Amino acid sequence: MKRLWMGVRKRLRGAGELLAKIWAHRQGKVGLIMVTLLVLVAIFAPYIAPYNPYDVSQRTTKGLPPSWQHPLGTTINTGQDIFSMLVYGTRVSLIVGVTSGVCIAIVGSILGVAAGYLGGAVDTLIMRIVDIMLVIPTLPLVIVLTNVLGRDFWIIILIFVALGWTGLARTIRSLVLVLKNTNYVKAAELAGASRWHIMIRHILPGTSHLVIMSTALSSAGIMVAEAGLSFLGLGDPTAISWGKMLAEAQSGGALLFGAWWWIFAPGLGIFLAVFGFMRVGLVLEEIANPRMKRTSSVYKLFRSLDSSYVEEVFRSMDDYQRIGVEGVSSGGGQSRGTGLEA
Amino acid sequence: MKLSYVIKRVLYSLFVFAVVITLNFFIPRIGVEDPAERYYPPQGNMSEIEYEIVKQLTREQYGFHVSTWQQFLNYLKGLAQGDLGTSFRPGSPKVLDLIKERLPWTLVLSVSTMLIGLIVGVLFGVVAAVKRGRWQDTLLLNASTVMVALPSFFIALVLSFYLGFEWEIFPAYTDSTMVSEFAWTWEGISRVARNAALPVMSMMVGSIISYAQGTRNAVIAVTNEDFVLTARAKGLKRSTIRYKHILRNSLLPIVTSLGMSISGLIGGQVVIEQVFNWNGMGTLFLEANQTNDYPLMMGIMLLLSGFTILSILLTDLVYVLLDPRVTVGDKR
Amino acid sequence: MEQVLKLRNLKVVFPTDYGLIRAVEGVDLDIYHRECVALVGESGCGKSVTSQAVMRLLDSPPALIRMDVLEFDGRDLTQCTEAEMQEIRGKELAMIFQDAMTSLNPVMTVGNQIDEMYRRHYGDSKQAAREKTVHALELIGIPEPKERANSFPHQLSGGMRQRVLLAMAFACMPKLIIADEPTTALDVTIQAQVLKTLRGMQRGCGTSLLLVTHDLSVVAKMADRVYVMYAGKIVEKAPVKELFTNPHHPYTVGLMAAVPRLTDEKKKFTQIPGTVPSPVHKPSGCYFHPRCEYATERCRREMPRLEPMGRDRQVRCFHPLGVGGKSSD
Repeated sequence: MKRLWMGVRKRLRGAGELLAKIWAHRQGKVGLIMVTLLVLVAIFAPYIAPYNPYDVSQRTTKGLPPSWQHPLGTTINTGQDIFSMLVYGTRVSLIVGVTSGVCIAIVGSILGVAAGYLGGAVDTLIMRIVDIMLVIPTLPLVIVLTNVLGRDFWIIILIFVALGWTGLARTIRSLVLVLKNTNYVKAAELAGASRWHIMIRHILPGTSHLVIMSTALSSAGIMVAEAGLSFLGLGDPTAISWGKMLAEAQSGGALLFGAWWWIFAPGLGIFLAVFGFMRVGLVLEEIANPRMKRTSSVYKLFRSLDSSYVEEVFRSMDDYQRIGVEGVSSGGGQSRGTGLEA
Repeated sequence: MKLSYVIKRVLYSLFVFAVVITLNFFIPRIGVEDPAERYYPPQGNMSEIEYEIVKQLTREQYGFHVSTWQQFLNYLKGLAQGDLGTSFRPGSPKVLDLIKERLPWTLVLSVSTMLIGLIVGVLFGVVAAVKRGRWQDTLLLNASTVMVALPSFFIALVLSFYLGFEWEIFPAYTDSTMVSEFAWTWEGISRVARNAALPVMSMMVGSIISYAQGTRNAVIAVTNEDFVLTARAKGLKRSTIRYKHILRNSLLPIVTSLGMSISGLIGGQVVIEQVFNWNGMGTLFLEANQTNDYPLMMGIMLLLSGFTILSILLTDLVYVLLDPRVTVGDKR
Repeated sequence: MEQVLKLRNLKVVFPTDYGLIRAVEGVDLDIYHRECVALVGESGCGKSVTSQAVMRLLDSPPALIRMDVLEFDGRDLTQCTEAEMQEIRGKELAMIFQDAMTSLNPVMTVGNQIDEMYRRHYGDSKQAAREKTVHALELIGIPEPKERANSFPHQLSGGMRQRVLLAMAFACMPKLIIADEPTTALDVTIQAQVLKTLRGMQRGCGTSLLLVTHDLSVVAKMADRVYVMYAGKIVEKAPVKELFTNPHHPYTVGLMAAVPRLTDEKKKFTQIPGTVPSPVHKPSGCYFHPRCEYATERCRREMPRLEPMGRDRQVRCFHPLGVGGKSSD
């Protein structure tokens, strides 16, 4: 029991450190704030939403542009408060996105580790499945599967997971192939550790940064996919979701009657959610692998250099009293830079 | 050496296609014992016997009265003769005929999106790589972080709102007479172009950015290679190095991503066709979905998968032409 | 003797997130006509950066470069525009790189890559360039040069590839060739053959050669004069024979002890203790003092100057070894 508690504490500390690292990154901070905000909105939706988003009986408030009463206006046909719908829509997007993201991380890492570490027939089988799923167009397949299996909330998540694990499994597999040959894994093998033990204790922790990163990125991807599905009218029919709001906006005449707020509000929701998770994922990627840094920091560094400090460094390299060494003077003023065209 | 590599790739593609065909046959049969129930779901106002008769008729009409394995064999036989099956639509049209009608319209969108995306994207990517760290590169970085978070159908709605309804520059919905009155005249073609403008623009943004990103990264990776330093040490002009040495080597990863992107492009087009009511395979697919027309849905799926397999295969073969190092035993 | 290259006080730093990398700290080089000069040092001592700076191939950014004099064949290269440098590079000042596999364009035939030299610098037609290429490949000792010219780099053996690089460097009969670790990637036997070819070509063409290497056995075979470099500074300069018979700097001595010798069985094969200092945080005083068994308090405090020590020799050490009984113990 005590050991378990220690383990949990260690994990928690690790998670805390990771959060601190993301927080220290400017882009990561933006992402974390956005994600936290969305989670809070989703949890406290009933307290935040000023109106009942399902209420379609407000005939007096049809098609109102944004105002103090209705911060994002109302719908044209039913007079629903769009801000309230947006707030409730957060729930669907987050639950589908994050649940699928986490499940994909679990399935993808297990299959990836199995393929990479066990090799042989297991590897062949898993990689063949990956190859096959690659060629079947995803969205049409999702549509067919919702038709066959139903459109319940959980079934949609299941379908996303079933189709979404391949990319992660592939990446994890190639990482495991590298880890497999590291000394500590070899040592564990020589010490007689079971393959199961090695996979759980040595290989899996080595892939953790990839898994965490992919959870954030695939959550973002699933949110876009979910929005697309409900936009087509194929999502869970009982829930309010951002994709469905967009579809209703189109069919309800938002375009025709110039109700721009009805289009931009759900778009903003999708954008904020996807952007937030994306930021966190990309920052995690950068933390795990500093060379992935997309911004060319060297060039920024170059511009921010303090020229007097650089001159000081250059001067410190001189042999003092160089005169006498073949009679060449090295007066600092004569030094000239070449090719300095920053 | 190279020939055997090509043969290997072709055989593997055939294997993948065979699995896809099998999946295509069995997916609609998940969860029902009798495929006729898919065609004709149980209805409240019908007695058992009436329903049984209807099902029996359906079975015989669509060949569901034999065993599943026999059905599978018949399906394969049909495929071998280029028959994708019979649609559940009234009048029982052939799936292939329905697709044939829509395919050109879908290709108009996807080919133009791809071409524009590729040309503009590669140019933009090269510029961003050359001007690394300057405003062109930063622009690409910022554009890509923003655009990735915006789904194409949202872009489509915004474009349709402003360019279509508010400013009336392009038609916001596809002109219903575009297809029926189409003729190979200047008038007919320009009409298609005007109607295609918004759908293509909505998809283009994403594909330009993804090709530009890929190109930029590929060009930068190649620029850091040793042989570029050799080329510079040879005294070659910058333009020679850029076009003869760097670009040629950067093409390899770009070609790969091209093959991979086709599947996503086609899938995403379903939504865009829906937004603009475009008369293509995407809308056909959604119609089929609404009427539970499985033969039609699976026929479209099979065609799209086959198309993707073919494009990946072609990519691999182009790779052989571009990269002399690819030989047998190369596992990429 | 006519001087081909004169470099004075070359300094190069690279800014990074962790601080400034002090790659080269005031290096002087002189190379005369038909001479082979070796620049020796462990990896990371700044010798490759020096050679690329001479070619003016270092990009800025990321590098920050200062030099007082860079004269090549009487021309002031610091005043040349990039276009003028492109005319000089390859034609009069050529370079051979370490790993021929990565230094050759993988998707271009080796013939085309050599053709480029003639077409660029002499404006030859395709056919004329190819004829010269085939001749050059033959001269450098490649069998069936006509067929080989149509090969891609990966189809050639390591030694062949390196010879292709040699043929490329000698294509326009340059005045100076800089060879950066030209044989490091090769097997010992092939290394010897390639070195022999390089030496032969250098003599035959009357080219000067700057040989950048970490391998003293290569230096012994090839060089006329030697510069020993450590942590961005020249620590010793001497004619090759004198350097080997009577090394002054403890680092040079250490390098020589690290070369296994067949003739000298009594001497043990030893390594210099410790590692090259990080180019960001170099030690105070003499950069070599943490690894030097003769280090004194003064070495820890003060950087010694590069002092003349006899005819045509220089050493950067407060306690040079083997100098008139001053040998420390």
